[in-house]
Amino acid sequence: MKQLNADSNNLSNTAAIPTDIQFLRLLQIHDSAFPIGTYTQSYGMETYIQEDAIRTKDELIAFCSTFLHQNLVYGDAILIQEAHKAAENRDPNRLLHLENLCGAIKLAKESRDASVNLGRQFIRTISPLVEDAFFDEWKNRINANEIKGHYAILYGIYCAVNDIDAHYSVLSYLFSSVNGLVQNAVRAVPFGQNAGVQAMHQLAEEVVVAAGIVAGLTEVDISNNALGVELASMKHEYLFSRLFIS
Amino acid sequence: MLASKVARRHHNGVLDMVFEPRRGFTRMPHVFQQPPLKASRELYEGNDPTATVYVMESSGGMVAGDRNDISIRLLPGSKARIIQQSALKVYKSHTGETCVQSIDVEVAEKARLDWMPEVIIPFADSKFQMETTIRLEKSATFLWGEIIAPGREMRGEVFDFSSLKSMMKIYVEGELLAFDSLHFVPENLHLNGLGLLEEALYVGSIWLVSEKADEIDLRAIQEAMKVGDGLRAGITRLSGNAVHCRFLGVNQWRLQQEMKRVFSELAALI
Repeated sequence: MKQLNADSNNLSNTAAIPTDIQFLRLLQIHDSAFPIGTYTQSYGMETYIQEDAIRTKDELIAFCSTFLHQNLVYGDAILIQEAHKAAENRDPNRLLHLENLCGAIKLAKESRDASVNLGRQFIRTISPLVEDAFFDEWKNRINANEIKGHYAILYGIYCAVNDIDAHYSVLSYLFSSVNGLVQNAVRAVPFGQNAGVQAMHQLAEEVVVAAGIVAGLTEVDISNNALGVELASMKHEYLFSRLFIS
Repeated sequence: MLASKVARRHHNGVLDMVFEPRRGFTRMPHVFQQPPLKASRELYEGNDPTATVYVMESSGGMVAGDRNDISIRLLPGSKARIIQQSALKVYKSHTGETCVQSIDVEVAEKARLDWMPEVIIPFADSKFQMETTIRLEKSATFLWGEIIAPGREMRGEVFDFSSLKSMMKIYVEGELLAFDSLHFVPENLHLNGLGLLEEALYVGSIWLVSEKADEIDLRAIQEAMKVGDGLRAGITRLSGNAVHCRFLGVNQWRLQQEMKRVFSELAALI
């Protein structure tokens, strides 16, 4: 715990702390009621639930921890960080490369579709609220179907044009992704609300560690070792009854 | 003690193969080989114009810092099937250097490459990196399989290697369709964790790109897979005309049998 505090303080020294309004903007877009459809995605967790592999709070934490450390950290989180940098540099070619990469690393069809569906909902919801020429140009290319519109890339661009520091962008994204999974597990397994709250309380500490790891990674570090999760996401497509889209 | 400090010359195996159709059969008119890599001559089954070529590794395995560079080019209309003669063994990295295997494949219009699944065995304390890059034209057909072992399991060597990095990139008409990147460092990673490999020891992958991919009934293949008893498998559609199949298994023989069955089934559909 001491180590953890030291790490987080360390990062706060190098990252620009969000202003009050930036902080609230992050809270709003990561609210579980923000209408981009997070509550419809399980990224393969539902397959585990149906196979009876997530029955206890500890199993839920283990699943979320693998998803966080092996999938999100080395996938979406690196892409958000890179997209954030590319948007700051106003570099559309780099963003296009990252956009393609984001689709290519998501091998399971449903997880890839989820990324695009969330992205499209996200841009539809926030575009009336953002005034930025670079952002508009990207939005127009998505509307023209020139770009698919993966969520991680759009989110990185959104944070960059709102001057939200990359560290806080990644930290809050990781938190809300894991929180979304926990909320969905509470409904699907089902767990009591308290089990969900306790699981997330514990996972929040891992999110801090994860965001610290992401800060030291770049595109060359992209990988996905969470093969069990990926396989479950592939198999999800063929389940007979499903609560979630992925 | 002294002997281990004597600098060993690295092997750099090179194999460049070019296939093209000639008088109704696919031939391999250009081949460059540098030991320990070697290719057999073309073999044929009856009137099938497909050239079957065996790739051999005469050294018996890769040792710290060794490289294998393989390039395979299929010119328009050619058909080739490549079979590795044996499993690829990666020995202990006594110097700390990484062994690298790089495979570059180009398949032109109306050409087809089948690469049969073989096993990669990373020994205890080995370091291995493999980079496979596939570039296909739109009407090209491609079927590829590979299996990663946890080590020499029968000797009780399970995930005792230092590191294994595997990168597979598939481009169709210049667009990146799939990027599969595994990076196992068993020391820092509990591979048996929930959502990782869990009880599985062997990882198998099949990649397919074909203009006929849309017509393949993936649900039928998924439901016919002989899973259970330590074997899990899933099939999914990649963007474009591509399909990916992953196998996670406890038992090598069982995983290999099922992979070969699915591989043959897919081969017959495209």
